[in-house]
Amino acid sequence: MIPVKAVLEADLAVVGGGIGGLMAAISAAEAGAEKVIVLEKAHVRRSGSGATGNDHFRCFLPEYHKTLDSILQQTLNSPIGMTRDPVILRQSLEKSFELVRMWEEWGINMRPTGKYEFMGHAFPGRLRPSLKYDGRNQKAVLMTQAKKRGVRIFNHHPALDLCVAEEDGARRVTGVLALDMSVPEPAFVLVRAKTVLLATGLTHRMYLTGPTPAYMFNTSHCPNCAGGQALAWRAGARLVNMEIPYVHAGPKYFARAGKATWIGVYRYPDGRPVGPFITRPDVVYGDITGDVWNSAFTDVLLDGSGPVYQDCSGASSEELAFMRGAMFSEGLSAMVHYMDEHELDPGKHAFEFMQYEPTFHGRGVEVKPDAETSVSGLFAAGDMVGNGGAGISPAAYLGWTGGEHAAKKAAVLSFTNIEDDPALKERMELFSSFLKREEGPDWKEANFALQQIMSDYAPAGPHRVRSATLLRAGMEYLEQLRAEAFSHLRAGCSHTLMRTGEVLDLLDCARAVLHAALAREESRAGHRRSDFRFTNPLLNSRQLNVWLEGGEVKTGFRDKWM
Amino acid sequence: MPPVIDREKCVGCGTCADICNSHIFLHEPDKDRVPRVRFPDECWHCDSCVLDCPAGAVRLRIPLPFMMLHVASESLRRQS
Ligand SMILES: Cc1cc2nc3c(=O)[nH]c(=O)nc-3n(C[C@H](O)[C@H](O)[C@H](O)COP(=O)(O)OP(=O)(O)OC[C@H]3O[C@@H](n4cnc5c(N)ncnc54)[C@H](O)[C@@H]3O)c2cc1C
Repeated sequence: MIPVKAVLEADLAVVGGGIGGLMAAISAAEAGAEKVIVLEKAHVRRSGSGATGNDHFRCFLPEYHKTLDSILQQTLNSPIGMTRDPVILRQSLEKSFELVRMWEEWGINMRPTGKYEFMGHAFPGRLRPSLKYDGRNQKAVLMTQAKKRGVRIFNHHPALDLCVAEEDGARRVTGVLALDMSVPEPAFVLVRAKTVLLATGLTHRMYLTGPTPAYMFNTSHCPNCAGGQALAWRAGARLVNMEIPYVHAGPKYFARAGKATWIGVYRYPDGRPVGPFITRPDVVYGDITGDVWNSAFTDVLLDGSGPVYQDCSGASSEELAFMRGAMFSEGLSAMVHYMDEHELDPGKHAFEFMQYEPTFHGRGVEVKPDAETSVSGLFAAGDMVGNGGAGISPAAYLGWTGGEHAAKKAAVLSFTNIEDDPALKERMELFSSFLKREEGPDWKEANFALQQIMSDYAPAGPHRVRSATLLRAGMEYLEQLRAEAFSHLRAGCSHTLMRTGEVLDLLDCARAVLHAALAREESRAGHRRSDFRFTNPLLNSRQLNVWLEGGEVKTGFRDKWM
Repeated sequence: MPPVIDREKCVGCGTCADICNSHIFLHEPDKDRVPRVRFPDECWHCDSCVLDCPAGAVRLRIPLPFMMLHVASESLRRQS
């Protein structure tokens, strides 16, 4: 058995020290929680999708937007609004400027042009939703703020599972099983926790990587965020929107989010603009075509009219210099260095853009407006949340409010002994068995096998479809893979054991996706059912939950929380 | 592949290994001052190691399949 190195206690154990997790830790400490710990897979200074920066913070600024409703409705009616519960979006917008001021006070540059300026992701003539900022130091700043408030940070300590207790038919979180992978020899760390907040980011690596199928870490967002929703799933928490694929777009074949930082026009090879919004580069609005016609980059390849290029050549030299600076704010420095080395100049070269593979970005754990999940004491924030919206500002908001509510809840709870929990022991034995095996497939084989199955049997539309027969076949193949994985996977060190844990999580997430996709008997956004071709208006104001109960997968619709 | 460490410049502080987003380095100072890139194909080319190296000893070598497809922007204008 892998040894247990330590047993810790926490009023709040935060899993994932990204934007949402660090905000939760800071706010819980502010709200009076004494023992706040962060379990982070990598190192909080540079982990997650915000590792080296971001530059758009969705925000309601009363003196600019005048009414909250203006920006609320715009967001709800956009492709990213569909999955949200309006009540959470409203609350997050109400709080957003306060968070901006907080970040500014801590040393994040929220006014890179000298004033609060809204740019990019915008329709010409409409109010703009995103505050332009410079997030290059955001992780270091949040880490410092957390440490200042006595938060204990455990880097290289991914969470493998949660412990839950059943009381009067209700489930309550009691702790976390983490892996110490700071050295090659693995060890377990157990955390008795009064409350837990999950903030493991989006889920990547469930589908074959769009640009480079053989390189699974060439992804738009952080590929080490993979399957965290499964921790909540196994604990019995409800997931939501798992069947609605999220498909990001960006440069081809160097996968990277951040398309709104580019100041160009999407053009066909004959120079015509692809969208109706702008005809020359516009530093204030950007070209929102890529946001609203999400499948454009694929459509034009399949109908032969493409490719589509991001053409910044009409921008002035000042605008190009501004864009270059913003790319550093946005965390795109690796791409800028690549362009420099290859003598590529956005003023002179147009770059082909493409759609990447589906991810679970703003798909996953369902939270109530206070960020608590359907399991008592278990909170969630950020991109892994399925009904709160994805991105920096929703992550910061749900983290903040979740930390505050978790602290309040923890104040009246006591610790539960988890060491003798039979489910925990079983999980520890499973992980130990991977390490003991002399031979067997490694995590990567299992991950690729999963990607093949999901890409074939639960693909994203509009050009690929799902159907009851395909989804059922996918479920069957997934169970075959799961059985193989549990009985044969082998890991050689703490790093590969961590990756093995991710694959187990991805397998659980895939199960949730297949069941939810089967239950959504209509077509909606990228979820195209060949056996239910229409979009059912009666479901516009409903959300689909999927969860695990007594080992069985359950699904059910509920009304949106207005 | 991706991160390449200049052995001459590396001061052996281990920052790259500690902060790597993908945990791809192994730094065993007793065996070698310079961290080893142990899992190169798990690099997300996030640039953290390049940005944080105090000696400027790390660069990324982006694999060929990640090439950024481009054309001269003039060619788009010529055809319009
Ligand atoms: C290049 C780029 C540009 C972007 N630009 C913008 C922008 O301008 N505006 C915007 O709104 N959004 C932007 N985004 C998205 C934004 O970065 C994310 O929405 C945001 O970081 C989400 O915060 P989070 O806390 O949910 O996840 P993250 O910040 O990704 O953090 C998740 C953390 O969880 C850790 N983790 C994962 N699994 C485990 C586990 N099992 N145990 C312990 N730890 C774990 C990860 O290592 C990571 O530290 C961009 C993303 C990228 C990649």
